Amino acid sequence: MTDTTAAPAPPPASAPPPPGIVVRNLKRSFGAVHALDGVSLTARSGAVTALVGPNGSGKTTLLLVLAGLLVPDSGEVQVAGFDPVVEGPSARARTGWMPDAFGTWDSLTAREVLQTFAAAYRIDPARARARATELLETVHLTEYADRPASVLSRGQKQRLGLARALVHDPQVLLLDEPASGLDPRSRVDLRILLRRLAEEGRTVLVSSHILSELEEMADDVVFVSRGRAAGASELGGAGLAATDRSTWHVRALSYAALTGWLTSVGASWQPDDEQDPHTPPREQPGGVLLTIEGDEGAARLVRDAVAAGVPLVSLSPASGALERAYLALEEERR
Amino acid sequence: MTQMIEVPAPDGATAPPTVKVRGRWALSWHGVRTVAALELRQRVRSTRWVVALVVWTVVVGAITLLLFGATRRIFDFDDVTADRSQSGPLLFAAVTFLVLGLGLLVTPTLSSTSVNGDRNAGTLATLQVTLLTSAEIALGKLLAAWAAACAFLVLSLPFLALATGAGPTPWWSLLRVVAIIAVLLVAVCAIGLGMSALVSRSAGSTVLTFIVVAAVTFIAPLLFGLTYQSVSSYQEVRVYGMPSSWNGEDEVQCVWTQEERWVANTQSTWWLLAVNPFVIVADGAGTNADDDGTDPLRGMRDVVREVRAGASGQVDECWADSSEFEAVRSEHAVWPWGLGFNVLLGAIGYVVAVRRLSIPQRTLPRGTRVA
Repeated sequence: MTDTTAAPAPPPASAPPPPGIVVRNLKRSFGAVHALDGVSLTARSGAVTALVGPNGSGKTTLLLVLAGLLVPDSGEVQVAGFDPVVEGPSARARTGWMPDAFGTWDSLTAREVLQTFAAAYRIDPARARARATELLETVHLTEYADRPASVLSRGQKQRLGLARALVHDPQVLLLDEPASGLDPRSRVDLRILLRRLAEEGRTVLVSSHILSELEEMADDVVFVSRGRAAGASELGGAGLAATDRSTWHVRALSYAALTGWLTSVGASWQPDDEQDPHTPPREQPGGVLLTIEGDEGAARLVRDAVAAGVPLVSLSPASGALERAYLALEEERR
Repeated sequence: MTQMIEVPAPDGATAPPTVKVRGRWALSWHGVRTVAALELRQRVRSTRWVVALVVWTVVVGAITLLLFGATRRIFDFDDVTADRSQSGPLLFAAVTFLVLGLGLLVTPTLSSTSVNGDRNAGTLATLQVTLLTSAEIALGKLLAAWAAACAFLVLSLPFLALATGAGPTPWWSLLRVVAIIAVLLVAVCAIGLGMSALVSRSAGSTVLTFIVVAAVTFIAPLLFGLTYQSVSSYQEVRVYGMPSSWNGEDEVQCVWTQEERWVANTQSTWWLLAVNPFVIVADGAGTNADDDGTDPLRGMRDVVREVRAGASGQVDECWADSSEFEAVRSEHAVWPWGLGFNVLLGAIGYVVAVRRLSIPQRTLPRGTRVA
């Protein structure tokens, strides 16, 4: 997890894929606040890219620039091959944006909201009607189609907002906290929908705090911290083969013995979430996280540890890799 | 599971059609209509709107009927000798000013929260990122607010018609009055739109819009009054008056003399009166009652045109005859200037709104987030 490969692996397709999102050295400040301080990132088309970072790290500002709402102070942006600043309409026609906080026109029905946006994107009325019906079905709001948007719950409004972002069949999707307020069922639906959209060759950029969710749906992850892209890495996205190297959680009766042995054999390890990294290892149960090459590596580790007399308790594939990476980032921040 | 998550793909190619690049000022009827329909739909469906229309009709109707009764009582106490030329113009003027005054009170609220209100509700940015240009969003909002204002005007039509029918007021005066009020209201709507784009808080923009309306309605005439003394001075003028030899009884011919009089040079300050909506409507109404009639609109028109002419160097003080010299009734209309000024204010408001709605934005209004 600690290795942060800046450039994501090229997609497997032989033909060069249509461009997704390319951001280079983007800067934007609001007065004295440097919301974006030299962000660079690439989001592949045909993949879901997660945008992870603490509050106030510049995620929303970045998405606003990508959506074509804000002029960056400097830097280069390409969305679906267009610069949202110079070629605004062309970029916006291919971009679906769902803000983190948005409202709906309360007296309009869900269907009318979608049809209005379709009209705003210059989709002819007949197609707009069909499109609205399809999208309402996609986000499971068909039974609310002709009720005013004011009766929708927060999660339903969120789903309507997602349908709105999809109304013009955008090539690039920018979703700011799309899962907030969604019930577990809707989250699963969202995940499947985003995977599906990515498989159709679209670029999906999702920011979220629900890291376990992101972990399951994202192919790539970009960490943003204090206005910078702090690191990018590739994840084993849902449905994709996990990479050979994976993180394991190893627990022993004696934390000191475990860490002592690991250090003596030259393995690089991190204390797990329960350990305070600032206190020296003590003679009590505890666990570490380490990166192991495949299942054979894990088997070898068990054999060697037992042989070395380490009171091993458990060895399991670690979950929440993204969360740990995120927390590690937070650690740096302090 | 996946079969229920059917992402609708558009028929044909996935590539979106080539977007014609349009600047922020580009307008299309389609775009304007989309925004206006959206705004109107929301407004019409609120119960507040229906209540406002009902209250308006009741208030205007009740006051019209009271005025009708009052003017009849004052002038036409005897039905046999009823002289509509006395009460009719007064009634028409009263109802016109009532509709205009209430319209100026109601209209600022119709548009003065249309941009910042949407921004606070989080619906503006999602609209801005569509292919609508900022000119289309602004014009759509303006048209919707104006249509709402005109709804109030239309509800007043029966009462204006009643007042027109009561007297010698020509029907084309009714038409002119309604048209001028409608233009004044669109100017007020546009001022409100500009304010709502300029100020982030909706209460602030409403207050500012009212202040602009008050400035042209009250403050400008007040300034005219306050500067009246400073533009006045003693000047040598030609006076057409009674000869000094007149004994107070005989029929005499008035004579011209050179005398010093206190003269107001209002030709430099007349525009302070001209921007007033009531003056504009009075001057533009074109009512044509007799000189000795009680037509307030005509009276205001004469005053404001005289003020515009300012010191002519001639003063009429003859009350023996009016054959020789008559205060020249100016045919130079004042209302196009006043209306033009109000429309100019509205145009500025519209331009401000379009500029503020343009994306991508370089600067943000203080204390606001984009989305």
